[in-house]
Amino acid sequence: MSDNQNKKSSLHILFWIWVVLTVVGILVAIYGIPWLMPASASNTMHMSILTMVVFTVAAAPVAALVYSVVLFALAKWRYRGEGTPPDGPPIRGNNVTTSVWLVASTVLTVFLLIWGLALLASDATGEAKSEMTVNVTGQQWIWSFQYPGTSVSSHDLYIPVNTDVKFDVTSKDVVHGFWIVQMGIKINANPDEITTTSVTATKTGTFDIRCTEICGLNHAFMVTHVHVLTKKNFEHWLATQPATI
Amino acid sequence: MTSTLTSHAPAHTSGGGALRRLNFVTALIGGVLFGVLAWWLAHTFLDAGGAGYSDQVTVLTGCGWVVGFLLGIGALTGPGKWFTGRDQTHADEMYLAGKDLGRKRYFQYTTDHKVVGVQYIFATMALLGTGGILAMGIRTNLLTPGNHFVNQQVYNGFLGVHGMLMILGLIVAVAGPWANFVLPIQVGARDMAFPRLNALSLWTLVAAIPLLLGSLAIGAMDMGWVTQAPIANQAGIGFDLFAMSIITFTISTTVAGVNTICTVLTMRTKGMTMERLPIFAWASIFAAGLGLYAFPFFLVVMSLNLADRMVGTSFFVASGGGTGWLQENLFWLMGHPEVYVILLPAVGAMLEIASVFSRKPLFSYRTVIGGMAGLCGLSALVWAHHMFTTGWAPTLGGPFMLTTELISIPTGVIFLVMLGTIWRGNIWMRLPMVWVFGFIANFIVGGITGIYLSDIPVDNQMHGTMFVVAHFHYVFVGSVLFGAIAALCYWFPKVTGRYLDEKMGRISFWLVFIGTHVTFLAMFVSGMRGMPRRYSSYSMLFEHTNFVSTIGAYMIMAGMLVLLGAFIVSWRSGEPSGPNPWNAKSLEWMVPTPVPLENFEVLPVITSDPYTYGEA
Ligand code: HEM
Ligand SMILES: [Cu+2]
Ligand SMILES: [Cu+2]
Repeated sequence: MSDNQNKKSSLHILFWIWVVLTVVGILVAIYGIPWLMPASASNTMHMSILTMVVFTVAAAPVAALVYSVVLFALAKWRYRGEGTPPDGPPIRGNNVTTSVWLVASTVLTVFLLIWGLALLASDATGEAKSEMTVNVTGQQWIWSFQYPGTSVSSHDLYIPVNTDVKFDVTSKDVVHGFWIVQMGIKINANPDEITTTSVTATKTGTFDIRCTEICGLNHAFMVTHVHVLTKKNFEHWLATQPATI
Repeated sequence: MTSTLTSHAPAHTSGGGALRRLNFVTALIGGVLFGVLAWWLAHTFLDAGGAGYSDQVTVLTGCGWVVGFLLGIGALTGPGKWFTGRDQTHADEMYLAGKDLGRKRYFQYTTDHKVVGVQYIFATMALLGTGGILAMGIRTNLLTPGNHFVNQQVYNGFLGVHGMLMILGLIVAVAGPWANFVLPIQVGARDMAFPRLNALSLWTLVAAIPLLLGSLAIGAMDMGWVTQAPIANQAGIGFDLFAMSIITFTISTTVAGVNTICTVLTMRTKGMTMERLPIFAWASIFAAGLGLYAFPFFLVVMSLNLADRMVGTSFFVASGGGTGWLQENLFWLMGHPEVYVILLPAVGAMLEIASVFSRKPLFSYRTVIGGMAGLCGLSALVWAHHMFTTGWAPTLGGPFMLTTELISIPTGVIFLVMLGTIWRGNIWMRLPMVWVFGFIANFIVGGITGIYLSDIPVDNQMHGTMFVVAHFHYVFVGSVLFGAIAALCYWFPKVTGRYLDEKMGRISFWLVFIGTHVTFLAMFVSGMRGMPRRYSSYSMLFEHTNFVSTIGAYMIMAGMLVLLGAFIVSWRSGEPSGPNPWNAKSLEWMVPTPVPLENFEVLPVITSDPYTYGEA
């Protein structure tokens, strides 16, 4: 075989390794990620999971390229003789390769950016239409929820399904992180500041709230639940609570 | 003042006063003495009833330690002499450079850049070693859901001090040993631009380490390595030493950074134009320059925090008119550039290795310099991606998402150059190159998961979880530590005249490589399934992934112990290597091993870059 032919056929192999690894990456993205993430209980969470899938699919060919070159180099270009290998070809660069690489990575980045900004924009318009507000207060190491317009407060959160709920979040002592795990929203609770976030739960059921900023000894135990009720059940729950403030 | 080997001054001589009696032991004594003295003074003269009294005492004690330590090592004898109008004699200079002192010079205030480089190797090992022990404590505590290996208070202290020890350790892991030992030779200089400052930066770093460990001992710190306010204001007096340690450290890195940049810019030998510099030299000055931008924020954020504690200011206290967001901004203004200060020297070293062990020129030299410049520039503009969920300036989310995602373009350039250099080479799989391949495989995971986190809807889910922890450990352990070890294996023969044991090195590689994936892939899963970070205990939901992470962490530890064994055995009785074991072309391989004082008999004249493989 001439040197040229040799080169060609071996690059063929490289190509196929790349294809196989890309396909594996895409499969992992599509099936693995949704399987590993908690089942979503809001559209926000749904979009986060989808974003991870899309980004992984977009990254798969890049990672596959890197891994296939590494594997190929180890198998094919590894020097197996004794002592220092002879010098390789003096390639000091290749403008075509560099340009293609830069253009491809820019295009990918721009795609990810547009995806992210679009998502962000759709989230922002959502905030305007909030239908009810809950005041959230963190303190070492419990969460309290107060329902404005009522004198009800609770340590488990209760919200109605399919309702856009806005959370006004603050803290009595140090910084805490208010996170509804299955709904993909998170905002810090800062002392003497109010921060906001909002979400529409799409499923009834019980979901997890965990603190995500280290807040002292019992940080790991600063957990509670959110109970998503039907609107009717929620009205009923609210009406039957004793006044606590 | 310059000095040359061909001097006529007598080599030994003259009484020479304090200079000749000072060493590491007198430094420790000085540090303790001054620490106790400062403590006593503070105790006696400060108002014991005042707010912040115990913090004032602790901070002053820390200051006393640092000053006493530097006095005791002899850092101030030179300036002292100059101040009293007597500059150092040539004999003093030679003594300072460690001439004819044998092993003793490693325990002294020695100006020879090669001695300082070796001292940095041991300082790095101390930092990473103690940080590693704490990591094992953390992982052991997380072995099973209800495990209480240590109590929660100790656990939180471990978290913060582990993080900071590792950050400091990695900042110096490549730049410390190799920008000192190798860089001046690479550019054809007889020493660093400022040899005495070089020794100062090293010993200031050494002074900072006991402060950090001491902070753990007096403890009660719940603030993590990011020292968020106001939880940092609640922390015990351990935090005062913690902050003092960092303040001392920033002085060290500033001095070192200035020295590195000046050395490359002004000390190059004839013909060593900027376009002929080894890429490691470029990486070093980019990292040093970025550090000069970043670390003042570190100093400021720690100082303001101390002020809040000691004298009742409220920079970070919202009820007093300040804001915790200021702390977070200042911290991450430092924190993000810092990750590139850590990364760049490692990448520079590995690009050298890739070229030498593929027997090919570096692919697209100018592109990678452009890429590194891009990384530096952008990394100053992305800090708020650590603050997406803090509630600070939600409207800036979009712009920070933009800058953060743009960083993946110059990061991609590093991959292009790495793969382009390997492409069609004759790849020599010796130990340094093995670690470089490990780096490539790991860094892609760290880089890609970083892009997920830069997307705000994803970050809203993932921030504050184990997913973030896994992301940055893929970068720090999988990439930077691998690079630091590659650099160690590569330059070890230049330091010792011996190879680092190939067999033990490979065993270590496989343990650390597999351990890294086991630990941190499982940690990604913990995060995806909803486990917040900095948990001392967790529900059954995360049982399996945490168990796996802990086992992986033990593998990493085992691998690092094997590496330590290889290091010790090879230093004492490894296979002799000769001056240029890898047949490389940069200047450090052209001088004899051991490298003589002042490196070159005659300064070389350079006619090309060191990447002329296959060009004859
Ligand atoms: C160069 C190597 C890198 C290092 C050393 C590094 C290091 C880190 C560290 C230490 C954190 C955690 C901060 C904390 O919350 O305590 C972090 C978070 C983050 N990294 Fe990286 N990173 C690197 C590369 C990247 C890249 C390439 C990207 C994006 C393109 C990226 C994006 C992020 C984002 C967005 C976060 C914030 C996550 C959060 O806290 O919610 N990183 N990184
Ligand atoms: Cu917490
Ligand atoms: Cu960052």
